Amino acid sequence: MQTYVVIGLVAVLLIVLEWTRSGMPSVLKPVCDPRVLDRFIREAQDTEVAMVRLCLSSCALSLSLTVPLTSVDFVAWDKKNVQEQAQEVQSGLWLLGKAIDVVRASVSNTALQSMLDNSYSNIHSIRQVIRTLNIQDWSPSPTESASLDTRQVSSTPELFRVQTNFLRGKVRLLLSHAPACHRSSS
Amino acid sequence: MIRLRQLAPWALLLVFTCCQNASPGLWDAGLEKKADLLMRVEHEEPRCFAEGMRDLTCFWDEADGGTPHLYRFTYTYENEESNECVVESQQREGSETRYFCKLLKVQLFGLLDIRVYRGETLLYNRNLLINLVFLLDPPANLTVTRTGKPGQLKLSWLPPPLKYMENSMMYEVSCTTAGSRMEKVVQGNTEFTLRSLRPGTEYAIQVRVKPDGLTYDGYWSDWTLPISMRTLPDDADPLILSFSVIISFILVLLSLTIFLSYRRFLIKKMWPLIPSPENKFPGLFTVYGGNFQEWLGHSSGGLWQRPGFFYLEELPVMLEVLSEATMSPPVQIQPGDSRAPGLLKETTQENEDEMLPKADSGMEKKWDPDLQENWLMDQFQVLQQSSTPPSQSSLLESKDAYVTLSQNFDQHPGEGKLEDISEESLPLHVLFGTTETSTSHPDLGSLPQSSGSSQLSSQSSFEYPHNTWPSKSLTYACLTMADSGISTDYSSISSSRTGMECIYTNDYKNQMPKERQPLATPPTHTGCWVQEQHNSSPT
Repeated sequence: MQTYVVIGLVAVLLIVLEWTRSGMPSVLKPVCDPRVLDRFIREAQDTEVAMVRLCLSSCALSLSLTVPLTSVDFVAWDKKNVQEQAQEVQSGLWLLGKAIDVVRASVSNTALQSMLDNSYSNIHSIRQVIRTLNIQDWSPSPTESASLDTRQVSSTPELFRVQTNFLRGKVRLLLSHAPACHRSSS
Repeated sequence: MIRLRQLAPWALLLVFTCCQNASPGLWDAGLEKKADLLMRVEHEEPRCFAEGMRDLTCFWDEADGGTPHLYRFTYTYENEESNECVVESQQREGSETRYFCKLLKVQLFGLLDIRVYRGETLLYNRNLLINLVFLLDPPANLTVTRTGKPGQLKLSWLPPPLKYMENSMMYEVSCTTAGSRMEKVVQGNTEFTLRSLRPGTEYAIQVRVKPDGLTYDGYWSDWTLPISMRTLPDDADPLILSFSVIISFILVLLSLTIFLSYRRFLIKKMWPLIPSPENKFPGLFTVYGGNFQEWLGHSSGGLWQRPGFFYLEELPVMLEVLSEATMSPPVQIQPGDSRAPGLLKETTQENEDEMLPKADSGMEKKWDPDLQENWLMDQFQVLQQSSTPPSQSSLLESKDAYVTLSQNFDQHPGEGKLEDISEESLPLHVLFGTTETSTSHPDLGSLPQSSGSSQLSSQSSFEYPHNTWPSKSLTYACLTMADSGISTDYSSISSSRTGMECIYTNDYKNQMPKERQPLATPPTHTGCWVQEQHNSSPT
């Protein structure tokens, strides 16, 4: 009797996990408040400024990291559809997350460590916010990753500058013009 | 005709494009203004600013006479190849030339690498993010209106017409009045209400805009043209003022009426009447300044030695001895003294409650043989005539004691006694009663009597003392004691007391000079005390 109950519970748990993993259309309310992203941008700015002040000698990275491009051409951007924009944003966030992870492992300073942890969690939070806007999750495939628009950075201040401007530009544009938000307002 | 019409738009288009490419008039007045503004705040060359989402203008000044072809302007975006921009020039005052370059296709949020070459040499190199160098136009359509309240003005304006930047602006409002300028930063909103302005004054309002610095950043724009508006005057104040005046007036009237109606009560409460024993001790405070010894009598030294003297029950009954005390006081007195004991004895024998009149009468009897009999009679008459006579008997019979002011008790012979005539006069008052004695009960300090006596001393009623004793200073002390059976030994009271001396010198002011001379003997003697207990008759 007990084993049946346990099996049933496990099955339910697996089903639930599968649903979440597959990225079922979120039943969560879309996060449309611009202040949410503004907070992340502020924290990224503070990290960028502090990184210049704190890293001192350990600013240079032993190996170069791949980061997304941040510059936005409005004309070209407007021409893209939401899916393309979302893909660009999500791939960029993924790259940033990976880069921060690498730096986090190599840094020993506790102050820097806490800031890196904060940035890493912020990246994940933004990805969550994007998920609430009914945008499908993107995961890198081996074929796609090569053709992404990326560049290389070799110092931590540069990495965080890229992060800040990525959030300011592409991520913000995507979130502010997300159809899920505009449907309700306009 | 038709061809021309068909050609016209094409011609116009051609001209337009030509002009665009050449763009000689690209540098207009608006750009000039912005450039001047930027000169003050930005110091990195070349100075660049973005007016909107799709342009970037960079400029630098040189004093070489205007040779734009010498310069090369290259810009490179991230991960891209470098591009070149055509440098243009604008002649300025003097020999200064302004070179500028305007980019029409820009990418924000990404680093832009700008290089300026003069010939082959690199003049300037600058990396910037275009989203951080905005220099916008001032806000448009600034309107200022009055709210209903004085000292308030409502402002509203339009935000910059940029598609992606509506929520990223902050504004600054400045209101200027004669002599003072106030600036306030407003976040986000395009309308604002100015409060706590002075009513009835003219204010000039201006607004300027800047990106808030989070996603977009830049420099403060130029101020809008000032708009003047006068605030509402304080119109409610006269009403409030009149109301307050009326109410305060009513309150004042009310308080006044209450105060007047309860004036006495209030005064009593505020300044309560502190009872003072002054009325019972006439002259104590006014004449002697509170010196009770002096007030009692100068020759009351003996008395003072006996504090018990002042207790009612212990006051011995006194027999005043009238004696002449001038030149021959001793002579005369002696017989008197000789009589005095007899008197005393008589009195004591007669009555324990020896009262003044009786003592007097006793003395009177003795005095009869003297020529002063009349005088005595007169005195007694005076006594009886005084207001206190009816009370006298009662007084005398009472257990109260009269204080005779006897300077006689003064132990110091003649020092000040003769001078203090007023004090000397007191006993007389007591003896003869005073018309002014208000107290019918002579307490120990039957001051009213004494005070009256002092007053009467100058009266004509005491003329006879003056007359009858021109040469004699009559002194006596009269102290009616309570007949409570005090047994006090007064034999030792007076040091100056001789066996038979009961001389009282009565010094009057007017007689002082006279009396002084004749008085050879120390005038001070203690009063003759008649003790009820008889024993210590000071003889």
